[in-house]
Amino acid sequence: MKPVVARLTPALLLAAACRGSPTGGENPPCPTSTSPLASAQAASPSRSSPFDSVFAAAGREFRVPPELLKAIAWVETRWQMVEGREEFPGQAPAFGVMALRGQALERGAALAGVTAEQARRDAVANIRAAAALFHAYAAQGASWSDAVATYSGIDVAAGRAAYVAAVGRAGLAPRAAPAAGAAPCPPPAPDYGAAVWRPSPNFDQRATDSTGAIHMAIIHTCESNYASCWSWLTNSVSQVSAHYVVSEDGSEISQLVLERDRAWHIAALYDCTLNRQHHCTLNDVQSNHFTVGIEHAGFVSQDSFPASQLAASAALLCDITRDRGIPRDWQHIVGHGQLQPANRTDPGPNWPWIPYLHRVQAACGEVVVDDSTAYNDSAVATVAVPAGWVASDTTPDYYGGGYRWASTALGATDGVEFSFRVAAAGARTLDARWTSGANRSPRAAYVVIAATGDTLATVIVDQTAAGGAWHTLGTWTFPVGWSRVVLQRRDTSGFVVVADAVRVR
Amino acid sequence: MRVLYRGIALLLFAGACRPSQPDRAQQTTQQTVTTAAPAQDTFAGTTATLSRPAPAPSPPGGWLLHAVRTDSQPGYDRVVFEFAGDSLPGYHIEYATRPVVRCGSGDPVAVSGGGRLVVRFEPARAHDDQGNAAVAPLPRAMAPRLPAVKELQLVCDFEGQVEWVLGVAATAPYRVTEAPPRLMLDVRHGP
Repeated sequence: MKPVVARLTPALLLAAACRGSPTGGENPPCPTSTSPLASAQAASPSRSSPFDSVFAAAGREFRVPPELLKAIAWVETRWQMVEGREEFPGQAPAFGVMALRGQALERGAALAGVTAEQARRDAVANIRAAAALFHAYAAQGASWSDAVATYSGIDVAAGRAAYVAAVGRAGLAPRAAPAAGAAPCPPPAPDYGAAVWRPSPNFDQRATDSTGAIHMAIIHTCESNYASCWSWLTNSVSQVSAHYVVSEDGSEISQLVLERDRAWHIAALYDCTLNRQHHCTLNDVQSNHFTVGIEHAGFVSQDSFPASQLAASAALLCDITRDRGIPRDWQHIVGHGQLQPANRTDPGPNWPWIPYLHRVQAACGEVVVDDSTAYNDSAVATVAVPAGWVASDTTPDYYGGGYRWASTALGATDGVEFSFRVAAAGARTLDARWTSGANRSPRAAYVVIAATGDTLATVIVDQTAAGGAWHTLGTWTFPVGWSRVVLQRRDTSGFVVVADAVRVR
Repeated sequence: MRVLYRGIALLLFAGACRPSQPDRAQQTTQQTVTTAAPAQDTFAGTTATLSRPAPAPSPPGGWLLHAVRTDSQPGYDRVVFEFAGDSLPGYHIEYATRPVVRCGSGDPVAVSGGGRLVVRFEPARAHDDQGNAAVAPLPRAMAPRLPAVKELQLVCDFEGQVEWVLGVAATAPYRVTEAPPRLMLDVRHGP
């Protein structure tokens, strides 16, 4: 699980992250990001160089962290324009602040659109050529550390490592000593224990206000095989990522971005009309801010998805939703194409949305009984809706595709029956969900009846408020077999009772 | 006869409006420009959306875009998208009326010029199975500063879609020529 972490240099990962604040003696907070890129960006050298504006401009132009250019220049030349001589046969002389040599100088110059002579003599051309070269290296390597190693031009492994470490040190605090008491932060680890941690540089920070709270998971297919998918998503050039990638057969999951960080997997601004009118206050918020992205090796056009892949994905999603308090329903576990219909269709028409969610729920040890049979796993959940109950989806945040409602009436006996199968006798906690409104009953009655026919309890709830969420009815011991919860509408007239779903856990 | 007529029209047009362009190919890769464009040409073109679905079957993982080149001809600029193999993916070309964003981050993309011509290929990719870019977006070469085409940016290479945005001087008529495995996009010079 750790080889990739180990491959990143400690200097880039740790030193930048854990450097003391130049102004205070307190321990700085551990970084919110863990990629070498972000660490390098955070590790602004405290000392200014004569070329800071050039590093900044070249970094922007070629999408390379300016601090990395500055640190390399410090290691190579101590920020001086040098004119190298051939010291050893076969070692081309170095030129400029960036100490470009030989073929690397010529390649960098060509990439930056300057002549080799300009790259040798002119500081701006020299730094731009180095930045262009660095960009090209980063496009080939898995990380900035690899690019630094390539840039070194050193063949001996130990020498390359020493060079990368030196650049790492230069990038964090070349002159000022770290503040006293600054403790090293632990290296990053995946949020999901079973995942292989393959950090991507393609992320930034979630919004700091409520729109940055993790609210839903986005399901993707990558239109490629597993290795191709995570390889590209960890390449800085791609400018795309996801938090997780699940392999074709589910035997491996990669985590590329920590859940607390904002991965780059969905371009769309949120539009609640595409998501059952759910949470319209998020409208026009960039969807990456509040979502976790899960890629699956595979294609929109495939006929079906392997059961083992769905199982692995469901186990992951159980873990995410449990840790993040995300409800396991179709408003919170959503396809990329659903939220971005203009140009996306993934995970495609054959993604088994309902059985998939049942897998997620099962992985988390729960069964949900909806008011519509289509949303139930018939092996463990069935519903019986009397004719007087009307289907509706007017009020949002229901479970499944909608809910049923009926007017209260004295003497009415036609309740909605939510039945669930208990395979092993024991305690279960039941929750109920409704959509609330001013016309709802303030005393809707849920009757809990065991498989033996014994009534265990009658629980009264106020449906005028707190709709769209699960509310605990209680915990009882159930025998093996089909037990049920009956929602009654027997009451003085003038109210509406809403039957949406019952959860068993 | 037709070619001669068009040639005369173009000479008049070019002579009246602008100094002649240097006949220099702006390349984005080391490959030689081999497009066999007529020496002189003009065309009506369109500013409307042009699209074509992908032929079936598509290669596994989609068509691989491996080179993009720009070139200026009398009267128009040409962008050549070259794919591996001997056919072309589906494409969708339109002038953007809404902000162009990167398909992963959603960050808006700014390009030079007064118009933004979006070119999307599907199913397609511009990277290999090892995660390396097949078309390196080299910043200098992607800003050719031709009379019509000012800048090219790869804004998406994700989930089987490759999308470029061309910053063009103005919302000028364009035309598309399919020459598998190349797709040639010509943007007319300004009035």
